[in-house]
Amino acid sequence: MTRTLKLALLITGAGAVLGLAVNTISPHRIPFIAPLKAASLPTDFIQLADARQLWQSGAAFFLDARAPADYKAGHIAGAYNLPAENFDAHYPEIATMLTTDAVIVTYCDGMECDLSHYLIVRLRALGYRNVHIIQNGWTAWRQASLATATGAKP
Amino acid sequence: MKKINFILRLVVGGVFVTAGAVKIWDPGSFANDVANYRLLPNMLVNLVTIILPAVEVLAGGLLMAGVWKKPSALLIAGLMAVFLAGIIQAVLRHLDIRCGCFSTIEARRVGFTTLAEDFGLFCAAAWLAFWYKG
Repeated sequence: MTRTLKLALLITGAGAVLGLAVNTISPHRIPFIAPLKAASLPTDFIQLADARQLWQSGAAFFLDARAPADYKAGHIAGAYNLPAENFDAHYPEIATMLTTDAVIVTYCDGMECDLSHYLIVRLRALGYRNVHIIQNGWTAWRQASLATATGAKP
Repeated sequence: MKKINFILRLVVGGVFVTAGAVKIWDPGSFANDVANYRLLPNMLVNLVTIILPAVEVLAGGLLMAGVWKKPSALLIAGLMAVFLAGIIQAVLRHLDIRCGCFSTIEARRVGFTTLAEDFGLFCAAAWLAFWYKG
């Protein structure tokens, strides 16, 4: 049994080396140590009820900050995908639909998700003044049984 | 019996290779899933995200290939125990989060289906690690 345990540890060690190596060469690599969580201001957040009203009136532009695969699997109906991790590649397409005073509502998924935060930081730097986050957006939206859609299109 | 063990090895190993492979190349979404479990300090989230899929691929691959069968089955059983604990605490804390088991290729949330599946995998791996002779 001791030998089995030792070999199991060896596999774990080899796996760790392999993982670190793959992450060094992958174009999608992430930093080994996550940077400190970015802090959103309380004023950045919009209540779900308010977001819902904006959605119903069509007065706001909804942006999904998650990866395209997550967006495809399900998103807020009418929301466009602007992945925070690949902002520069996707922004030009979205930019043509926006003016700097547009009301923008962003979201991602989970209480620990900070993709929407990165999105509004980038958007603010580009001059957009009216940007908001729905906290735990995708889950909150689903739990409230609001309109959703699947596929690569809004 | 030999045949059953062989099939068990292929299934358990195959699930691990698949689960690891879909997460290893594009860890961004998986990192978000790991963080949403609210178990690890922020500092460790990325390291676990980077290392875990590679360990899964390696252990699954070895089990399928029939090399170091017992050690790889033991490692897989250990990992399944950790995943089970993670899901149980998420369910108990009423966290409505994506399982992240296969990262972005499935949108399933944690719940009793994922629990049952993981328990099945845990039993299969534990059988191969402890009771299987050969």
